[in-house]
Order: sequence, then C-alpha cells, then structure tokens
Amino acid sequence: MAGEEEWPEAAFNSRDPVYLQVVKQFKEMIATGRLRGGQTVPSRRELASRMKINPNTAQKAYKEMEDQNLIVTEGNSPSHITTDADVLRKIRSELLGEAVEAFVESVRRLEAPVEELVELVREKYGRPSAAADNNHDGAGGGQR
Amino acid sequence: MIEVSDIRKRYRRKNVLNGISFKAEKGRITSLIGLNGAGKSTILKAIMGLTPVDGGSIRIGGQPLSPEIYHTIAFVPDRLTLPGSMKLRDGLQLMSDFYPRWNAEKAEDLMSFFRLERGERIGRLSKGTAAKFNLVLGMAQDVDYVLMDEPFSGIDLFSRERIAEVFTSQLVEDRGVLITTHEIGDIEHLVDRAVMLDQGHVIRDFDCEEMRSDHGKSIIDVMREVYRT
Repeated sequence: MAGEEEWPEAAFNSRDPVYLQVVKQFKEMIATGRLRGGQTVPSRRELASRMKINPNTAQKAYKEMEDQNLIVTEGNSPSHITTDADVLRKIRSELLGEAVEAFVESVRRLEAPVEELVELVREKYGRPSAAADNNHDGAGGGQR
Repeated sequence: MIEVSDIRKRYRRKNVLNGISFKAEKGRITSLIGLNGAGKSTILKAIMGLTPVDGGSIRIGGQPLSPEIYHTIAFVPDRLTLPGSMKLRDGLQLMSDFYPRWNAEKAEDLMSFFRLERGERIGRLSKGTAAKFNLVLGMAQDVDYVLMDEPFSGIDLFSRERIAEVFTSQLVEDRGVLITTHEIGDIEHLVDRAVMLDQGHVIRDFDCEEMRSDHGKSIIDVMREVYRT
C-alpha cells in the first residue's frame, strides 16, 4: 500500500536517540498498515537519504529492528518486515500503551477525575467508531 | 582515524591550544564545537600542516603527517580560495589538474545536486552558493577524511538545509568527516561525536546518541551547560 514516495520526512526531537526515533517511525507505519508484514524495507543508504539521517544512524536503526525481530534479513536478499503475527500485533499495543502513558502522566498533574477525562477523550477523539473502540481500552484502564 | 594528541600552540603571547587531544574516526561525523576563538580553525589548520604547533602529535591512519598523507585528506576552508575571476568550470578543471584523487563524476553529481552553473564566475556567487561550490571542491575528492571549517556559517536557511543533506548521503559513508561549527542546530541529528572546546582545552568529548539515551540531553543542552556560566 505504501508507495515508496510516501515515506515520511521525520521531524526529530533532539533529546531522544535518533535511531530509536527511526525505529518508532517504522512501528507507526507498521501499526497503521503503511508497511505490511513481508514488505521489503529500503536499503540503509536509501533510508538515510529519505529520512535525512546519517548513514550510521540508519545502520543502527536497522540493527535495533533486527534485534527486536521487526525486520528479517536472510542471506543476501534485501531485509523485509517480519511476518510474525505475534510481533506485529505487539507493535500496536506497545505504541498505544506508550501514548496513553504519556497522556496519563501529563493529566495526572491536573488531578482530573477519570470520568471527566474519558468524556473529554471521547469528545475530542471524534470519529464514532474509533471512539467506541477506544472506549474499551480507556474505561478498562481507568478503573483499575 | 585522525588522532590529535596533546597539541599545543602559543601565538602572540597567548596560549591558543593548551594540549588538545581527540580522535576523529573513519565512517563517523565528528564535530568540533566551540564559541568563536576557542581554537577550532587552528586545530584544522594544524592537521593540514598550515600552521605550526609547539608540541604534541597528529597521526592520520596511524601515520605521522607527510606529503603523501595529504592525498588522503581534503580540506574545505571557511571560504572559497579560488580566484574570483575564474568560472566554476575553470575551478573544476584546476582541481582535476592538481588533485590526483579528484573524481570528476562525483563533482558532476554534486554540481547538479546543488544546481550550480558552470558558466558563473566565482566572484559573483552569493554566500550560500559559494559555500556549496566550496563543498563540491572538497567532497568530490576520493579521500578518507574531509575537514570542513564552518560550512554553515553566515548562509541562508535553505542553503544550510541543502548542505546538511550531503551528510545523509553516501558521500560521507566510509569517510571520516571532521567539521567545526559554532551553531550545531543545522546538524544536531547528523553528528556522531561532539568534541567541545573552550579556550584551547577540550572540555567535553562524547558520543551524541549515547548522550541522548543515557542522559536525555541534546548537544545544545550540553552546550548550555558548558558555555553558559
């Protein structure tokens, strides 16, 4: 689905390691279906110039993704996204978990009651179907 | 690897370099950071043998400096040194005549990457365009190390962005790049190692990704710590 031209030009923050920010980009693309299991990933060189990063950083990001079993390299063929359904599923929950954690962290300081937050999230989140999905996670997490 | 060990220099009764030591490895981008007058340019000139030092040693690929060693390094000074009356085309010819490691194909690629016109006169280039051409002269040589003195200084944002892109290309792969700058912002994400100087001393020397993962600090954060006192 993801045309090669659609590769995002990432805006990096300067306090998190760049290679980890690249890994996160990949995870987001996988979670949103722009990169699918089995799809070939760009060469290290291509990745560097597309994301405007140092080739060393591209190398390090791929190494990290290999260690996390996100991409697979077999012999001389180009690396591709894993087809391991378990790994792919975990990416989505990991990203959601991180995002929710950051959100909770920042609203905790305001000491807002959970019901109010859930209501606000539902309102802001807008799209009914997505909001319904979110409802389960949000409410479940909130009551613990 | 470029290995600078304990180099010292005194100039006009002032200590300019007070025992500077650091390494710039092949395949990595190392940045010498410091405010004006910290000794950055002097260090590059010392490596190039353009200014004498009073002590210490400089080795390149394990060898002491020698005329042969200089075929493995290119130096991009802080301004174009070719005569202003020359056209860019003549500048490229001069490089090809005098530099055995000149790679015309690479020069061609860079000229079109920067959209430079061969018929223009060097003296009539804008600051940004001159900086780009200056970079072509250095990067188009097949050398192991490239030294750059303030390639981003005093030029417009879009030229700076274009120049920074060179650091994401295969032009920097397998080479050691040593770059001086007092404004790291343009290349904050591209630098592998930062060596910070103050009054002729190395005050910090660190791996940038490690600094981010171990301390959550950007290069600019560290600069604030060390220079704003």
